[in-house]
Amino acid sequence: MSLLHATWLPAIRTPTSSGRPALLVWADTWRVANPAGPSATPAVHPFTLSTENLRAWLSERDLLPNGIIDATACLTLPSRRVKARSNPKAIKVQNESNTEIGSWTGLPLQAGEPIPKNTEWWPWQVQGLAIEPGEATSWLSTLPLSDQNSDLGEELRWWSHLQRWALSIIARGRWLPQVELSKGEGYPHRARWVPLLNREDDRRRLEDFAARLPLVATCALPWREPMGRRSNRTTRLRPEAMREANPIASCRPRSGRIRVASLLEELVDAQLRKGFQTNTEGLDPLLATWQQALGTETGVINLPNEEAERLAAASHHWREGVAGNVAAARACLELFTPNEGEELWELRFSLQAEADPALKLPAAKAWGSGANFLQLGEIRVDHPGEVLLEGMGRALTVFPPIERGLDNATPESMQLTPAEAFVLVRTAASQLRDVGVGVELPSSLSGGLASRLGLAIKAELSQKSRGFTLGENLDWSWELMIGGIRLTLKELERLAGKRSPLVHHKGAWIELRPNDLKNAERFCSANPDMSLDDALRLTATEGDTMMRLPVHKFEAGPRLQGVLEQYHQQKAPDPLPAPDGFNGQLRPYQERGLGWLAFLHRFDQGACLADDMGLGKTIQLLAFLQHLKAEKELKRPVLLVAPTSVLTNWKREALSFTPDLNVREHYGPRRPSTPNDLKKELKTIDLLLTSYGLMQRDSELLETIDWQGIVIDEAQAIKNPSAKQSQAARDISKPSKTSRFRIALTGTPVENRVSELWALMDFLNPRVLGEEDFFRQRYRMPIERYGDMSSLRDLKARVSPFILRRLKTDKAIISDLPEKVELSEWVGLSKEQQGLYSKIVDETLDAIAQAPLGQRHGKVLGLLTRLKQICNHPALALKETTVEKNFITRSAKLQRLEEILEEVIEAGDRALLFTQFAEWGHLLQTYLQQRWKFEVPFLHGGTRKTERQAMVDRFQEDPRGPQIFLLSLKAGGVGLNLTRASHVFHVDRWWNPAVENQATDRAYRIGQDKRVMVHKFITSGSVEEKIDRMIIEKSRLAEDIIGSGEDWLGGLGVNQLRELVALEDK
Amino acid sequence: MNSNTNQSSTEITTALGTEGLGQQPWWVEQWMELINSYRFKKRLERAWTYAREGNVTSIRFEGRRVHARVQGTGEDPYKVKLWLDVLNDEDWGYVLEALTQKARWSAQLLAGIMPADIERAFAASGRRLFPFKLQEVRSECSCPDKANPCKHISAIYFLMGDRFSEDPFVLFQLRGRTRSKLLADLAEQRLHALALLAQTTTEETGSTDDESNNQNNWASPPHPAVLDPSLWWRYDASLNADLVVITPAMEGDTGLDSAGELPLAEEPRFPKAGHLFLSHLREQGQLLAQQAMMQAMTAGD
Repeated sequence: MSLLHATWLPAIRTPTSSGRPALLVWADTWRVANPAGPSATPAVHPFTLSTENLRAWLSERDLLPNGIIDATACLTLPSRRVKARSNPKAIKVQNESNTEIGSWTGLPLQAGEPIPKNTEWWPWQVQGLAIEPGEATSWLSTLPLSDQNSDLGEELRWWSHLQRWALSIIARGRWLPQVELSKGEGYPHRARWVPLLNREDDRRRLEDFAARLPLVATCALPWREPMGRRSNRTTRLRPEAMREANPIASCRPRSGRIRVASLLEELVDAQLRKGFQTNTEGLDPLLATWQQALGTETGVINLPNEEAERLAAASHHWREGVAGNVAAARACLELFTPNEGEELWELRFSLQAEADPALKLPAAKAWGSGANFLQLGEIRVDHPGEVLLEGMGRALTVFPPIERGLDNATPESMQLTPAEAFVLVRTAASQLRDVGVGVELPSSLSGGLASRLGLAIKAELSQKSRGFTLGENLDWSWELMIGGIRLTLKELERLAGKRSPLVHHKGAWIELRPNDLKNAERFCSANPDMSLDDALRLTATEGDTMMRLPVHKFEAGPRLQGVLEQYHQQKAPDPLPAPDGFNGQLRPYQERGLGWLAFLHRFDQGACLADDMGLGKTIQLLAFLQHLKAEKELKRPVLLVAPTSVLTNWKREALSFTPDLNVREHYGPRRPSTPNDLKKELKTIDLLLTSYGLMQRDSELLETIDWQGIVIDEAQAIKNPSAKQSQAARDISKPSKTSRFRIALTGTPVENRVSELWALMDFLNPRVLGEEDFFRQRYRMPIERYGDMSSLRDLKARVSPFILRRLKTDKAIISDLPEKVELSEWVGLSKEQQGLYSKIVDETLDAIAQAPLGQRHGKVLGLLTRLKQICNHPALALKETTVEKNFITRSAKLQRLEEILEEVIEAGDRALLFTQFAEWGHLLQTYLQQRWKFEVPFLHGGTRKTERQAMVDRFQEDPRGPQIFLLSLKAGGVGLNLTRASHVFHVDRWWNPAVENQATDRAYRIGQDKRVMVHKFITSGSVEEKIDRMIIEKSRLAEDIIGSGEDWLGGLGVNQLRELVALEDK
Repeated sequence: MNSNTNQSSTEITTALGTEGLGQQPWWVEQWMELINSYRFKKRLERAWTYAREGNVTSIRFEGRRVHARVQGTGEDPYKVKLWLDVLNDEDWGYVLEALTQKARWSAQLLAGIMPADIERAFAASGRRLFPFKLQEVRSECSCPDKANPCKHISAIYFLMGDRFSEDPFVLFQLRGRTRSKLLADLAEQRLHALALLAQTTTEETGSTDDESNNQNNWASPPHPAVLDPSLWWRYDASLNADLVVITPAMEGDTGLDSAGELPLAEEPRFPKAGHLFLSHLREQGQLLAQQAMMQAMTAGD
């Protein structure tokens, strides 16, 4: 797969203009490449997509920009040294160039590739499409703002965010036109639209963008001939001339504040220029020329030099009054409260780093550095004295009292009267920040929520409460609080009586606002109750209010604290050991999961267990039900809804882990169809299993039962809120007369899928996210469309108490897990499979019985092979070669396989799929490629050796290589190193653990740094299950098996054989 | 800069402005007074006509000189040179010392403001920044007129006042100190003042020496991407919350609003040009802002 990149080119030469900037889009793709090195010119980047393919690639995704030309640029990229393969040509080049540089060979790194120890930076010639700035801004506006598309390099998101900032600058009108001396040759002065970055938020944003700049966005080197197609002359230039024009150089990464500011300027300028309509009526020639130039493509000012210079000087001077240049530091004013008994406030002058406001140096240091630069931590500040003075000059226009402080040569601080201090705190501070001067106020006055009137709360569960119901009232007390200082209503009245906005109380200065007293009185007279629900809400997110007063402090008593911590998952609920009657062992994290399920159950809250695949969600849920049963709390039946493909698996697991639970399937034509029949059947039943389809079809019937709880497995099935089965699941989860617990199980990262959260939470705890419309407006739109972080944080805080997700890679889990986890995936048979299976068994057994002994052996093996094929897919047994529309529904095994693969792909993991049938491999390859629209390589006996190596290399090395790799057991089971996979699937069985393990070891071997999940498919009731059981029980027969592959099967007697292959009825 | 009428001036200057009354920078006022004190009213009147009708084709500050061209009755424009008495190094020594004494002066100059009391710094040397009398403004003109100032020179006079406000450092330049030299000198002076202060308070001045030593050895720390080349591609931040919804400017809060009048001396023939220029920009700015908001709203669709 290819990955798109975008890099700014400071100047490209096109047939129509010289030295215009452009955005270069290019893509790299993995392929086998020979290492190359720069000779006379930088080496050609071996992984870039040709411009032809790039155009096609972009059109396919509806991303083809307007206004593009083919271009080649020279980019500095991290590279890895690779010795050249002994290629006579390469040696010749070395000799010709005869320089040290010529001897370097290597390959550029690609995004996502593992970083080698010694990375070097080398220039590469990269082919791509150059977009002129105006079109580039339109194009960037169409890119997604949040992380959704794996085809686009991450730096494209940086670009789309920068463009959004540019739009914000334009929308807020934070720009000034300027006249500037341009760097390009020929026309020295140009009219430019320049963003004003004097506002505090824009300055912070600049630091932010600079700190996060992905360097590939600006890694272009100035190069004499990054040419358009028509002036493609590089190849015609003699090497010496080219070398002279472009000494091999690479740009080392540098800090990007000024670079980012200039990129922002390019985007703002391009857009304003494009939309600007001129109107020169009544203007003198000077202004008219300037205005016209503001609307032309190049912005060239057609005036004599001296006139243009005059415009440049005046426009700069104009701007200086509003904003300084983009510098590493700014002037900062720090306010200090008066000492005890004194009246005057101290204002200290300092120099503050833009990148890190905590980095400050007193003014004396700036004066002391003379004309030299100053080090602010690692940040270099040029002309620190002037930076400080210039800021103070602007500060003076906003806050005149500063004048007194500048009355000597090297001022370091000044004193303010209380009235002046108040003006500073109340209004001037933000105005000063707006002209780019930093202001630091004492913490109790530093603005924001904390300095406002609010509450400090102490609360505890009441004596007899166990903290189990959300509605119950707490024992609580509260105090008023401003700027971290507690005060009583009396004290507040007294302070308000002073009629001074800044008051001194308990050793600190706080700011009183006009309505504070009134609000406090209102709260006191209401004296509200506080419920556990309130406490949970107030402690969930910061800045929540109670009767419109913000809660600054919340102290919970020890018992309440325990409940809150568990609730907010700051502390995991106490683990529960495996209950009595549970036939097996729980790993420590599973005990914690069980404890968590029991904890939310006590609160009557729905829970979503979203553990990574392979961590044992089934086991934890079964242990939970057994826990209820052991505690004699399981009084009514529980309904479990799962995809048809996993019902078998549930039955099997329940049978082996919780034999005490009475489990029944509600499935098939013989299922009860009247409420009475169902009630009768459920009398002794603890757990009823059914499919999503039947839950929806039989919903009326199922709703007649007073369920104790509803469990939905593979809960992503209800992600679409308007789908009928989601609706049915939500309906059935609503309690009737008695409470009904709700548990959802899923292996997908639900908390990251905003669109799916609403349906899930509406099933679990409908009140948490409110109505769907509200949810869409408040969370879904801002997060999905704009990637709004604060909404996302808020949403996560709301849902996280109800979702438990552990990953295989979590530190706490890793130590609990073996390095190789074997999972049996139990699957059933589709109707077609069943029919075919029975038919073949019946026909063939008779034939075998009648066959002469000499032929019997071959016939038996033939039968077994047919049966295994049927378990895989009828199409395989029927020798079909095409994949029809209903391909998936014909095989229960394929359905399950697809479900698991979906989780693997979702998690970004990689998987090996082994099968013994080449024909099946081909069918599966076709199907999977259709299903996911990506390439699935298939390595089989017929694959050529070179192709084989290419497949393995690509799987192991391509950063965006295939996630699924199909292999035939015979051809791929030995010798290969495929450690990038962390999942191994044995789609069909060979019944020889040694052979299977050997295949598994393609992934599970030295170099593997992840846990490996081994999925073994077993078709329940079929020959697959019986032989599997024999192997596990280590029967004598199994010993033979291991010794002899499948040959022993041929020697079975007809009765033995019949027992082995007959389809077992459930 | 608006060309504004000054009520107290003579008939000639009354003709200057059409924009109504406004606050003029003090030095422009002072300059106009200087011109109006000139005796030959007739010549002044003709000079004003020249200025108003665009006969002055260029004014250029070059080093310590002002070079200008004025289209007279001849075919080629006359070349006019103007200059002030330059302060010698000794005088500048006094001025710099005095100028350093109030950090505010430097602060205002750097923020583009000519301090109202700047002459006090010059008083120390017994010199002035602004010419006190017209005789202090030296001039030469290539015209045949023997009188000095001739009408060409006088025409320049009229336009000079406004030109001073295009850059407060211009006057310093005419007096012999360029902006960069002046700033470097001032930084040096502050260092000096700080040292004196340290002597008297016997306090440590903050290790100036260390820092200048550091300067040579100091190399910029390696960019984080050198240590972690994956930073070359990585960007995992979400869109800044403030950029989620793109909002328009509050009333009177655009860059044009805060920057105010364009400090460009007005061409007398186009009295409303500055005003028109800005109001057109403002109009277009609003339109473009609306377009930007529309574009932001449909982003990602």
